[in-house]
Amino acid sequence: MPDLDRDSPAGAVLEALGFAVFVRDKSGALRLSGTPPDWLRSIWPDVASAASLPIDHASPFLENFLVDAGGCWSAGGEKRARSGPWVEQAADGIELSLEATALTAGGQAILLLERLGEIFEAKKSMLQKARETVIAYQRLNSEMQKKEILLNCISEEMNAALANVITSLRLIEMEKNPAQIAQLLSLASRATEEQQTLINKVLNVFAAELEGLRGRNGMAIAEAKLGDALLAAEENVASQFADKGVRLSITGNGLAGIRVAMDSTHLTRVLSTLLENGLQSAPAGDEVRLNFAEESGSILIRVTDNGPSFPKDICANLFSRATTATPGPQALQLPFQFCRIAVENCEGEIGYESRKDGGNSFWIMLPTLAATK
Amino acid sequence: MIQKKICMIGASGVGKTSLIAKFVHSMFSDKYLTTVGVKIDKKTVSVDGSEVMLMIWDLEGDDDYQRLQTSYLRGTSGYLLVADGTRQITLDQAIEIQGRVVAAIGPLPFLLALNKADLAPQWEIDEARTDSLSARGWRSFKTSAKEGAGVEEAFIELGRMMTQSK
Repeated sequence: MPDLDRDSPAGAVLEALGFAVFVRDKSGALRLSGTPPDWLRSIWPDVASAASLPIDHASPFLENFLVDAGGCWSAGGEKRARSGPWVEQAADGIELSLEATALTAGGQAILLLERLGEIFEAKKSMLQKARETVIAYQRLNSEMQKKEILLNCISEEMNAALANVITSLRLIEMEKNPAQIAQLLSLASRATEEQQTLINKVLNVFAAELEGLRGRNGMAIAEAKLGDALLAAEENVASQFADKGVRLSITGNGLAGIRVAMDSTHLTRVLSTLLENGLQSAPAGDEVRLNFAEESGSILIRVTDNGPSFPKDICANLFSRATTATPGPQALQLPFQFCRIAVENCEGEIGYESRKDGGNSFWIMLPTLAATK
Repeated sequence: MIQKKICMIGASGVGKTSLIAKFVHSMFSDKYLTTVGVKIDKKTVSVDGSEVMLMIWDLEGDDDYQRLQTSYLRGTSGYLLVADGTRQITLDQAIEIQGRVVAAIGPLPFLLALNKADLAPQWEIDEARTDSLSARGWRSFKTSAKEGAGVEEAFIELGRMMTQSK
């Protein structure tokens, strides 16, 4: 096969298409035919002068492909071998996507090197989107499976509370002693309230997740004033604290004007949840402490109590989405899951520490907006 | 200097390219950019006092759009099988791919990298699963291309396994 002249129509077409054509000579060396395209020189500057592709040193990928190419050339005929795309780095650091094709033409073994262009970029872009979709689908599927397990656990909790109500009502039906009836009514009433609380917690978690999803899709950034959310949370828990005789001690004066990028109802709910939890753990007559402090662009809020620490197995999954635990801890996790979702949605962090001297300490770190003290 | 070819194998989006970027260039990006085709990087490491040049082939993720091309495995001395610890399905895929690799090129040294270890709250692979793989003789590393944890260790250990396996 004669060399391809860049001025010949065939040579001009190949050059315009970005191909470099190599012909295998009798010694097995791949000799460049025609003028090397600029991109070829940018990767292997010595190709033009050597006039043959020094394959052993040029590219490990091509070296590997030449095994397949050899098979193709031996078979002859119309058989072709394609390398698939690969990336080479030019001397200036730019990465070029290439593809090699081995074929036989005019009885000669030909190696075509092509710089991949717009069609390849379009294919790459399509694959990028397709794979992003597959990954998103897999994550969604996994999340749905976890939700199903969570729903099963919730159902079991609700069934247990409902069974208590039904049993109490049946016993009331048979009971004649007013004192016993009153006791059974009290039991049924408590079970009903437990069920209502659980339903509310479940609704809160799902509502928060839904709102979180909406937020990620481009809604306006939410904003909450720490002082206002704290006041609202205090009001929410005040009567419960009074009932148990537990004091609420708040420190961190001067930071009430701090604003954070979280919906104010979410922040109030997060703070209320942490205070309620502190109250549940705290011994009667004791105190729950809430402290907030500014730390380089963030606000650290810590709620501590002197109650018994959580068992280690619960601590490990306190904020986790994992839902393989027994129904009991699940119910405990629900409000903390909400807190985690709400806090992480505004790029904050949440954590729990079991205190060495006894008690629990929950903390949240929230990025602040410009402070208005 | 000893030169060894390593292939990065696994499903799409598990972090094969990110592991190489961290190991070779000490870089990490959160943005997912799919690999199409092959890219080769090199890094020299010291394995038990010997200099070993690792030629790392970053292969396109195996999925419904592109199956692993076994011709790329020719001449490899070992491979890093990568799964995403936050997507259990990618471990199932890794196990299936490994079966195809063995069928194509026979048994070779390999390590399982359970990547994205920094995303602990989303972790989906429990210890029972890794224990059962261990019982089959699989060695695994928890890696984080983001934080670097386990990355260098995995590559160097694979280098060691390859140099010891003649």
